[in-house]
Amino acid sequence: MGTATSRPARQLAMVFDLNKCLGCQSCSIACKTLWTDGPGMESMWWNIVNTMPGGGTPRDVFSHGGGYRDGQPVPGKFPAQREYGEAWDFDQQAVFSGSERIPLHPRERDGSTPSWGPNWDEDLGGGVYPDSFFFYLQQICANCSKPACLEACPREGLYRREEDGIILIDEERCNGYRFCAEACPYKRIYFNPQRAVAQKCIACYPRLEAGVAPACVRQCPGRVRHIDYMDNKEGHPHKLVNEWKVALPLRPDFGTEPNVFYVPPLAPSAFNEGGEFDDTKRRIPAEYLREMFGPGVDAALETIEREREKTTRGESSELMDILISRDWNDLMGPFTQNPAELIRPPVTR
Amino acid sequence: MTAVTASRIVGARIAPTKDGPLGPLSAGWGAAVEVEVPLEPTPLEVQPSAYVRTAWADRKHGATPSVRAAAAVAGGVLHVRLRWKALNPRPAITDNNVFADACAVLFPLDGKGAELATMGDAAHPVQAWHWRAGTAIPFVIQATGLGTVTRQAPPHGVSVEATWNADEWSVVFSRPLEEQGVPIRGGATVPIGIAVWQGALEERAGLKSHTPGWLTLEVPA
Repeated sequence: MGTATSRPARQLAMVFDLNKCLGCQSCSIACKTLWTDGPGMESMWWNIVNTMPGGGTPRDVFSHGGGYRDGQPVPGKFPAQREYGEAWDFDQQAVFSGSERIPLHPRERDGSTPSWGPNWDEDLGGGVYPDSFFFYLQQICANCSKPACLEACPREGLYRREEDGIILIDEERCNGYRFCAEACPYKRIYFNPQRAVAQKCIACYPRLEAGVAPACVRQCPGRVRHIDYMDNKEGHPHKLVNEWKVALPLRPDFGTEPNVFYVPPLAPSAFNEGGEFDDTKRRIPAEYLREMFGPGVDAALETIEREREKTTRGESSELMDILISRDWNDLMGPFTQNPAELIRPPVTR
Repeated sequence: MTAVTASRIVGARIAPTKDGPLGPLSAGWGAAVEVEVPLEPTPLEVQPSAYVRTAWADRKHGATPSVRAAAAVAGGVLHVRLRWKALNPRPAITDNNVFADACAVLFPLDGKGAELATMGDAAHPVQAWHWRAGTAIPFVIQATGLGTVTRQAPPHGVSVEATWNADEWSVVFSRPLEEQGVPIRGGATVPIGIAVWQGALEERAGLKSHTPGWLTLEVPA
């Protein structure tokens, strides 16, 4: 069991390619049905995909503090459940059986109309027509190398696995103090009000231990997600992060050194005044991408464009081959076991 | 009985009644001497988390100036009652950012020797009976230093009853004298510490009001 200051023997890492995400939430549903259908977990989305630029989940997701600045912890807030989005009720009865023709309405627990929820502003995006733009941002726990959550807990209620760097909450030790949720700058820790414990993405570690990729990785129809140990020099995360340098941490200014990396979005070129594509102008503002992915984003985008042009000319590109991953299993590193072929004990719940 | 400020809680012996255990508002408490015990904020610098020390550097905690305490033995069961004013009652955890009011009494597990300020040490564990508003069963916890708290699974013999009345919490912890754990026997003098958490101020964990040193609980013979 690793501590906050010691690095684990191995570190699992993931890369999400933002240029391939369909926004279909298959990852979210795969996670939801597998892990968060228990009591008190109704409104949890350990995996969530949000349209960016946008408010995110919870609302204004990156504005609640936490993480580190100049090596010192930054005080954070844990937004109320409504800011994440409650598990709404819908008035199906009135819609299907009522005498009036009314649209389906979600309702908060207290009967009020929701004002925020998962990917609430999915249809907004950014920019001004015709240079509108958006991209989908997938978030799970990033199992940070400098985990603010783990370091914030006064009673060692979280721990890091030595074998893969996955950070888990020990629900026997967790007292529901929620300092971890305040300290996580990505707001990926939830609170179970029925059990008064914090809960979060567990990187599907029981699947990993059986050689099966996490549900969000395996269920992704867009082949967005790559997973492997970072010390595997032939693995996609190492290749994309350390060699090609096209996969970048989200909000590196938070100082937690996350182990989920993102291939930044290219988006189509901007239009010129004549209404034609101007290949010299990016549609997504560079300053916004730098804020999201750090100063390496310009070089990363240039590399992706350069390699893409190579394949357009009919040349080969290792980078494009990795990003495309024509063989599905290549995405999953050592976790290619088909779960349907495993012998599983009967479900006893 | 009129409350007086003291560091000694003298337990009363009360004849058991057919009304059952001594509840927070039971008339039987009239036979006990209730004392007003001053509380202080726990020192921020000893909180075992850099995040907590930083996040609370400019925030007030330890907002309960005193607690009224009394003890009684009835039918072989020790009852300890704590009463205090809550700023704004937080009777349950109802949201991510809502924290419940709470209180606890602390004892050296062997009845002597442990440091209260450090929550004991490896050689001198402490035990606490911890009540959190909204829960019917108290947590019985043990610690061998700050940040080492572990919970003891029921059955542990400790029960709790709490009432919100007249703008104050009244909480009674009860445990049979002969129960395993802290040696609380008839005629014994036992060190006791008290802590109170104001949920409205987001007090939790080590952020609380407490007695900076041991008080004395005199258990009637």
